[in-house]
Amino acid sequence: MSESNANFKFAFYLGCIAPNRYPGCESAAIKTCKKLGIDLLPLKGASCCPAPGAFGSIDLNVWYAMAARNIVLAEQMKMDIALLCNGCYKSIWEVNHKLKHNKDLRDGVNEVLKEVDMEYKGTINVYHIAELLYNKKYVGADKVRDSVTNPLTGARIAVHYGCHLTKPHKEREFEDEVMLDTEHPVWMEELVSAIGATPVEYRNKMQCCGAGGGVRGYDIVHALDITNEKLINIQEVGADALTDICPFCQLQFDRGQIEIQEKFGVSYNLPVLHFCELLGLAQGMSPQDLGLDLHGISCDPFLKKVL
Amino acid sequence: MTEKKATTKKTESKKQDTKKVAPVKQEVKKQAAVAPKTAVGSTTEQKPRIGVFICHCGTNIAGSMDINEVQKYAETIPGVAFADNYQYMCSTPGQGKIEKAIKDKKLTGIVVAACTPRLHEPTFRTATKEGGLNPFRFEMANIRDQNSWVHMHDREGSTEKAKDAIRIAVAKAALLQDLYPKSVPVEKTAMVVGAGVGGMQAALDLAAAGIKTYLIEADTSIGGRMSQLDKTFPTLDCSQCILTPKMVDVGRSPNIELMTWSEVHSVEGYIGNFDVTIRKKARGVLTPKEAEARGIVGGGCNGCGDCDAVCPVVKPNNFEVGMKPRKAIYINHPQVVPLIYTIDFTSCVKCGLCVTACGPEKRAIDLESKDEFITVKIGTAILATGYDIFPIENKKEWGYKRYENVITSLEFERLICASGPTGGHLVRPSDGQTPMRVGFVLCAGSRDNTGNGKPYCSRFCCMYSLKHAHQIIEKIPGCIPYIFYMDIRSFGKMYEEFYYRIQDEGAKFIRGRVANILEDPKTKNLHVMADDTLLDRPIDMEVDMVVLASAIQPSADTNRTRKLFGVSCSMDGWLLEAHPKLNPCGTTTAGVFLAGVCQGPKDIPDTVASAEGAASAASIPIHMGEVELEPYFASCIEDKCAGCGMCVNLCPYSALSLVEKDGRTVMQVTEAKCKGCGTCGGFCPGGAIWMNHFTTPQIVAQIDAFLLGGEQ
Repeated sequence: MSESNANFKFAFYLGCIAPNRYPGCESAAIKTCKKLGIDLLPLKGASCCPAPGAFGSIDLNVWYAMAARNIVLAEQMKMDIALLCNGCYKSIWEVNHKLKHNKDLRDGVNEVLKEVDMEYKGTINVYHIAELLYNKKYVGADKVRDSVTNPLTGARIAVHYGCHLTKPHKEREFEDEVMLDTEHPVWMEELVSAIGATPVEYRNKMQCCGAGGGVRGYDIVHALDITNEKLINIQEVGADALTDICPFCQLQFDRGQIEIQEKFGVSYNLPVLHFCELLGLAQGMSPQDLGLDLHGISCDPFLKKVL
Repeated sequence: MTEKKATTKKTESKKQDTKKVAPVKQEVKKQAAVAPKTAVGSTTEQKPRIGVFICHCGTNIAGSMDINEVQKYAETIPGVAFADNYQYMCSTPGQGKIEKAIKDKKLTGIVVAACTPRLHEPTFRTATKEGGLNPFRFEMANIRDQNSWVHMHDREGSTEKAKDAIRIAVAKAALLQDLYPKSVPVEKTAMVVGAGVGGMQAALDLAAAGIKTYLIEADTSIGGRMSQLDKTFPTLDCSQCILTPKMVDVGRSPNIELMTWSEVHSVEGYIGNFDVTIRKKARGVLTPKEAEARGIVGGGCNGCGDCDAVCPVVKPNNFEVGMKPRKAIYINHPQVVPLIYTIDFTSCVKCGLCVTACGPEKRAIDLESKDEFITVKIGTAILATGYDIFPIENKKEWGYKRYENVITSLEFERLICASGPTGGHLVRPSDGQTPMRVGFVLCAGSRDNTGNGKPYCSRFCCMYSLKHAHQIIEKIPGCIPYIFYMDIRSFGKMYEEFYYRIQDEGAKFIRGRVANILEDPKTKNLHVMADDTLLDRPIDMEVDMVVLASAIQPSADTNRTRKLFGVSCSMDGWLLEAHPKLNPCGTTTAGVFLAGVCQGPKDIPDTVASAEGAASAASIPIHMGEVELEPYFASCIEDKCAGCGMCVNLCPYSALSLVEKDGRTVMQVTEAKCKGCGTCGGFCPGGAIWMNHFTTPQIVAQIDAFLLGGEQ
């Protein structure tokens, strides 16, 4: 587990929410991946992905061009992109895929990029960190298990996959076919088991967090209503914490619980952790290293149970 | 096409190529003279006069290319004496044109540029024959399937491609020779593979027509899927009651030799003379006949079930879709035909209790029994291999095998059937309670373009789901069926009327595909989430039980069996008929026919009709007594044959052998066995094998015509 034997290097695309609201996600991703032989190097000069719901609903061409610019930065580093947010995955992966396969679109985007002396070439691939962790080609559940020094034994964890990583099913092309299951995937549960915790099934697991597609920005009460339903379903099965692989989902579940308390008068106090944060705990990192003290809902009861 | 012309016009490298080809070609031409049975009439001596006929196929061809330009070009091809075009060459006037031109223009060969030889080669061969030529003086250029259909929007390109195709066909037509088909006698015996309702009907019809028929069934008893059903739509007949008499007839018919627990192991031969080897799987139980053959007089299985009572091994009964137990020695259900027990040797512990229970008189049980192989000779065969249920657990959104109260329609049939595992009481698997709200998901895996399902309509699910709705309304007072559908396809006789009847009885219809089913972890009730497209709103319907009308797919052994008989399948795995409209029971392998669902989803009436059609088609060659074989066989040029025997080992049809002739070893062809595949002809190091109708000079001429383009 020496930190020098990195097998893979990726340009690390941060997105917006991780660095601004949950810096713990960012540091957890870099530190845990390092222990698993993956170097995440800063993608300097990157902008917003831009948010697929907000930008995509209003002007697709802006969405294409801005995402393409982020991809070109990685092309210039001659590195594939790794990212940790489902929204970013939809923007960066999907635009990259579309531009690779549609010449007209590529030409149009390149005309825009010319203004900043850039050209999209289509030379790199885009990966979600959860994909790198699950796919044996990069890490795989066995290696994740081997990296664990503090197994989270006895912790009952509910998994939230989020929407944009797996859907729309027809447009996703994961190297590991197991990840193509959109309706009832269990590969995240495998990773949760690998760090010693117990994954728990709950009703309507694949329901949206409520935030995506601009719903949180447009109609917060409606968004919280959906979040509330998920929290009820998770509470029903007695989970100790919820794990996600998307900082925006995390925001909705974590901040959202405070907003639900304010608006609906219900409280759940369910700790919400990005899987990288959870993995960091299992690899023996301190809650401060992982920025868990910055969460809206206190992680302390959960930490007491697992540390 | 001659060497001289080619070399003057081509580049240096091409010159070398043609030089390489030319000597071989001339050599082979000389062989033609010595080849046996290829001596043709005086026509070989005379200059070829080829007639070219271009078909418009309505607008299928004419819409995508310039027919006049193609015809003008055809007239310039050396050897072409006449060219013409017509809207439908296959029509009577079209064929008349060919017949007339042969006589008027003294033609020696015919080229029709039209569709595919699979469709109309026999048509135009007949026209050629009617005109006074040998029918094998005909060659087809496919300018539709391989040209106008694929280059629909490239008029110029398809015109040029049509010219190439015609030039190549003319090159071959100039070298075609008279051939004479051979007739072979047809064995007066047939075989039907699969003894569901389709296979049984086909076998009964053949038997009634006086033809001895082997009926092969992979399961331990006959009846197939229909015997698992409770009632049939729209008449609500009891399925068993109408099927059992047929099963008994099959068991009794003197012309039907029933082989259950058996499968086709290998097939050799050709129409009229198939040698089929059957693998009779080890059954462990002797029939009275088999017992008698072993000298046990009055012995053999009489179906008493004493063995069943003592067998200690318990396994799920597949006939009851795993919802009822059976022993290691078992019958599927009490009405089985034949009433002979079977030992499942994969689970039998050979304790011998059954042997003792069977007793010293019957001595029906043989724990050491082995698979047996029996070869029979048949004239024609019918495949009736049926269907399986699509593994609907692959559609995870509906939670089959994850939620206890989500079942398939076949499981519903067994649960509602009086002879089923619950005696006809529909109960929830989770708690044995009677459901009062039942959701039916139609098109479960059918009409599904997600890539995780079947794109086709399974055709009978709408109707049986309506029947299911009727059955629960009838049996459980107050129970409401909720039918989630895309369209209700009630296409058959009295089907639409049945649909209205079920509506009136109180079934609720929701037009919307079910997106998701969620289980309440406490009550095990199910929430069916769908979009009600008529009210334009999402719906969350809580029900006690969900029945998935799962798609169907070809039965597990279909692919292996079809390969043995040389039958193709379409992309979705259903067996391919010779023509979807005009020859739905035939296949492209002469003497092999299709009955029932193996050709595509069918309900019971359609299956029976298709089976009767297949039986009729399969009986024709048998009643005719002999069939003509295409004279495409290989023949040996004995002067050239070194007797090395390499071709003998290569032949996939065992048609070749080595014989002593005039003190030399030479190869000899059994023409009736030869399929004209050309494997031997292509391989023979000495060029000593002559492939009729695909001779080396003919093929080389075609290649030359293509490579040398229009510059000859």
